[in-house]
Amino acid sequence: MLELKDIKLSYGSAQILNGVNLSVKRGDVVSIIGPSGTGKTTLLKCINYLARPASGTIAFDQIRMDYQRADKAAVQAIRLRTAMVFQQFNVFKNMTVIQNVMDPLVVVQRKSREEAHAIALQELERVGLSDKREHYPSQLSGGQLQRTGIARALAVRPDVILFDEPTSSLDPELVGEVLKVIKDVTSSGITSLLVTHEMQFAKNISNRIVFMDRGVVAADGSPTEIFDTPSSPRLAQFLSSELAFQ
Amino acid sequence: MFETDVLLQDLREILGAVPVTLAMALAIFVFSTIIGSLFAFIEYRRVPVLRELVIAYKVAFKGVPMVIVIFLAYFGLPPALQFLLSLVGIDFNAHLTPNWVILVIAITGCIAAFQSEIIKGALNSFDTGQADAAHSLGYTSSQLFRRVMFPQVVVAAIPDLTTSMMVIMKALSLGFAIEVVEIFAQSQLTAALNFYYLEAFVIAVVIYMVIAYIVTQIADRTERALRIRS
Repeated sequence: MLELKDIKLSYGSAQILNGVNLSVKRGDVVSIIGPSGTGKTTLLKCINYLARPASGTIAFDQIRMDYQRADKAAVQAIRLRTAMVFQQFNVFKNMTVIQNVMDPLVVVQRKSREEAHAIALQELERVGLSDKREHYPSQLSGGQLQRTGIARALAVRPDVILFDEPTSSLDPELVGEVLKVIKDVTSSGITSLLVTHEMQFAKNISNRIVFMDRGVVAADGSPTEIFDTPSSPRLAQFLSSELAFQ
Repeated sequence: MFETDVLLQDLREILGAVPVTLAMALAIFVFSTIIGSLFAFIEYRRVPVLRELVIAYKVAFKGVPMVIVIFLAYFGLPPALQFLLSLVGIDFNAHLTPNWVILVIAITGCIAAFQSEIIKGALNSFDTGQADAAHSLGYTSSQLFRRVMFPQVVVAAIPDLTTSMMVIMKALSLGFAIEVVEIFAQSQLTAALNFYYLEAFVIAVVIYMVIAYIVTQIADRTERALRIRS
């Protein structure tokens, strides 16, 4: 359903993505792992054009775009069918929890307030935040903020959900509650891409693992293939350092 | 030494200048904030050419003493206006422009440079992560601005914008130089008739302080009410 081909992107003289290919099938849960600075987050952001590749193509079902001739309509069409969960949560600080979840439904999808409210309640229930719905972001913990971000992403009913290091800026004791929600989301069958440093978690929830290194996809396979029989010394080294750390 | 008998009469006379002073201050505040916002947006969005012009404008109007700007406007604005209008064939005697209008224009021009800095700072304080989130959900730039950015930027700018209001109030006393009668000029005139200068200026100080207190209170309350929400 989603296919990225030969994605190249650089910031100034630093080449971040060096010809990345990635294809995702409907229902896939793909975890993207790899050392810091290898372009995992950037790759994810290329999908919804928050990062702008210099070249490459994307095919998202019927939507096709060449990044060298990016057009607004295609970008918007992709954005309307994806949703992103951010490392820094990025909830709207001027809105309550429930307003955060409702707002895209009312503003972008033009749903009635009643309908948006009903959907928002349902999603907040799902992430366990019903009782905090009238709170403002300044009154919430990191874990609650991230769960708000997840509810907001789910509420737009995306075909693909993009998790960008969703637990990396959380206090250790709050990681669990967020991982639990993500596990629940990914097991519901929604196509998911997850950039993460939680190796054990990635292994448990994914049906595919993509290992990125130095701006390219260096290994791609099932969790068993990647974790138990690493195909390259770089991958083996990365895994042992990550797992030792955890 | 200090004549308390004249205080009440002085107060009555000087209070008479308060409405016009407040009206001018409010007009300058509104105009300079609008122009300042425009400038801030040009800088924030990095609009080529216009951005350089805004920077040049700010250097000029922040650097030149306000009283000089007021005199330049007083002597330069009417002939300039008349000349421009004559170019498009309108015969208008711009020398009849009331002095208070010139004062409002001159101070607006100066304060706009400061307002633009305040608003630019508030815009820069907005974290771009929220913009990313909005775009990822399909918000257009104007929806992002309306729903997310504007409500937060306003709250961030309120304290400094209030300070500007007080700067404007004080700058208006320079209107004395071109015969605009506001609070300070009225105290001067009142004192000139009865020779009780100290008394008149004490009254003026009290009035300025009361206004400052009220403006600060209004701003604090507005900010508190809005900040709870962000």
